[in-house]
Amino acid sequence: MTLQTIFILILLLVGITVILSFVDVMLGGSRQMLLTINKDTTLPASGGGTLLDALSQNKIFIPSACGGKGTCGHCKVKVDSGGGDIISLEENFLNRKEKEEGVRLACQVKVREDLHISMPEDLLEAKEYMAEVAALEELNYDTKFLRLKLLSPKTINFKPGQYVQILVPGYEEYRAYSIASPPSQKDMLEFVIRHIRKGLCTTFIHKALRVGDIIKFTGPYGDFYLQENSKRDKIFLSRNTGIAPIRSIVMHLKEQGMPTEARSYYSGRTKNDILLGEELSKIEEEHDNFKCYVVLSKPTPDDKWEGETGYITDTVPKFEESLDDKEYYLCGPPEMIDAAMAVLSEKGVPEEQIFFDKF
Amino acid sequence: MSDTLNIFLASVLTHNIVLVYILGMCPAIGVSKNLKTAMGMGTAVIFVVTITSLINWLIYNLILVPTGGEIISLMVFIITIAATVQLLEMLLEKYLPMLYSAFGVFLPLITVNCAVLGVTLFLVLREYTLFQTLVFALGTSAGFFLAITLVAGIREKFDLIGDPPKGLQGPGIVMIMLGILALGFMGFGGMVDL
Amino acid sequence: MGSQWHRLTYTKPYVLLKDGIWRKNSVVGSSLGICSALAVTNRLENGIAMGLAVTFVVMVASIVTSMIRDYIPLRLRMIAYMVIISTFVIAVDIFFKGFFPDISRSLGPYLPLIITNCLIMGRCESFALKSAPGFSLIDAFSHGLGYTFTLLILSAVREVLAFGTLLNVSVVGAAWTNWMVMAMAPGGFFLLAVIVWVVRSMQGEIDEAGATPTEKTVMEAA
Repeated sequence: MTLQTIFILILLLVGITVILSFVDVMLGGSRQMLLTINKDTTLPASGGGTLLDALSQNKIFIPSACGGKGTCGHCKVKVDSGGGDIISLEENFLNRKEKEEGVRLACQVKVREDLHISMPEDLLEAKEYMAEVAALEELNYDTKFLRLKLLSPKTINFKPGQYVQILVPGYEEYRAYSIASPPSQKDMLEFVIRHIRKGLCTTFIHKALRVGDIIKFTGPYGDFYLQENSKRDKIFLSRNTGIAPIRSIVMHLKEQGMPTEARSYYSGRTKNDILLGEELSKIEEEHDNFKCYVVLSKPTPDDKWEGETGYITDTVPKFEESLDDKEYYLCGPPEMIDAAMAVLSEKGVPEEQIFFDKF
Repeated sequence: MSDTLNIFLASVLTHNIVLVYILGMCPAIGVSKNLKTAMGMGTAVIFVVTITSLINWLIYNLILVPTGGEIISLMVFIITIAATVQLLEMLLEKYLPMLYSAFGVFLPLITVNCAVLGVTLFLVLREYTLFQTLVFALGTSAGFFLAITLVAGIREKFDLIGDPPKGLQGPGIVMIMLGILALGFMGFGGMVDL
Repeated sequence: MGSQWHRLTYTKPYVLLKDGIWRKNSVVGSSLGICSALAVTNRLENGIAMGLAVTFVVMVASIVTSMIRDYIPLRLRMIAYMVIISTFVIAVDIFFKGFFPDISRSLGPYLPLIITNCLIMGRCESFALKSAPGFSLIDAFSHGLGYTFTLLILSAVREVLAFGTLLNVSVVGAAWTNWMVMAMAPGGFFLLAVIVWVVRSMQGEIDEAGATPTEKTVMEAA
């Protein structure tokens, strides 16, 4: 390379930089934008990034499982102004009502101007936590019980029934798990986790995790939680690991001295699928107004099962005198929830008395 | 005159940049979902290719060759393209908002479109004159427009009735469409040559 | 509980390697870098040369981008990538011209066109800009390797079918008729479609949303 070439090159780079800096200034550049949440909190956000990044830079963790690729649809926020047009990728996750209200996926909204967004207050309380694995025990052939000791922050506040998102190391993706321990236990969280074949996080927890490992999670999230102020009797329907949030709620109710009547209907295929059965039976013995029923859908001969069998949706009407004056908490696989919803609405239970969490 | 027509027809048909040289695949697969966006992209490419190849011809022949700087020509070309695209976007947004709304959104995508750099490299390789460059640039970008519009048209119809196997959905089936189109374009072979 | 192998599969380098080579293979998964993947793969030696050239460029470009990532102004980052990438592409171009003039000639303008290979820009944009140099290097290496593997398969099949040779050594009997269309564009398209089909069916996960994430970030960032 001759000196002349180098000279041209430098001249060219300087020229381009000058022109583009000029353009950059004219177009607003990467200056700081303002992000206003719920009209009261204003935070800085660097222009050019996504809304999701801007939120997490400000330590606001909204649910997101795919790492900002627009494939999970969890990071919904309401953008009141300044988000630009909806992009085609988002349309798969938004229904018509949400589109009209201006709901967007935070990972697809670019920060190009000042933004005004609204989101539920409790999302603002979600934080990132570091925790140590304190216990990891087998409950049955495919389910483990995980206990996490919080390291920083040292305590967490949540409502019984809510979930957290555990970060899968290496993949940097999140997976949601309901908290199974009561909210009074602020420094230790418990989970019931079933191994799903080829499942990213469940394989991690079942095959790779050891006691003493440090993992990260964010939370708490979710609008499936106990309605503390309601005086209605409570009916819990769950299947398999759906018992986790129910356990949290029941233990919380027990600590409150069982203020209302409560009954838990818990189903599994065989006796082996029934998790943490003794714990609920013990609470049942201590409190007259709490009952728990176990329903097996396909008991094996070895189970020597003499209790309820068949569908949980058939069992509930058998023991409940009236259905429409109770409050329902459903947690389990989608098929179970859908079947239960159909039965309940047929019996005239108003929708606002039903809360559910699909696993 | 025959030379001009020759270059134009050859770059549209027998030497189509997408279907024969296989350049500009990202937009041909990514932005060909419907006819309207495909035509917007095509128009933007016509604009950018014509302008950048003229500028690059001037820079190469008037600055780089006399000073012996051919070795850095690659870097110069790509920077010229990137800068031109950015300037063009800004100017259009400010002074011709109608045009900008029609295909402005596609402009930023063009910087990384290898068809644009490809045209510049070909014209240097073939030692075209300034006028030939203009014709070649117009022809090639028209060829790009033609190809992406054809693919988009097929995709629009195909989406209504087509039900490819799961692994072929998306880019896979588009490649097959491109393959069939490329087969068809081989039929132009021998009509004109460069 | 916690076997060594499973623990290894949840470390970052392992995941990066697996993603680049298999799970998120640039050509098959996100249709990036297809131009050169098809245009030059009618002979195995071209495929190898192209694969290695891209691997080299993506590695050095990623590491440089990652090292200076805090100093790149956000709006000007495309230009920065261009400058970084083109510097190394020029070096590769000169290298091939000097040591492998035959390959350089048969690759023609496709070697300089590595500059616009979306794979490289995609790694710089979606990974190197946000990550430490070490991880960026692993990420770039694995994506380069994934790219090279795809090119190897493509070019080997095409060379055998089109010319009956492998690395210019005849591998078929006398009765073999050369299938010339495999050396040209249509053959490349069809073969790549088949590879995409096979790999995606094996992976069993198809991104329904059409444009894949990497592609999208590249496009939106531009």
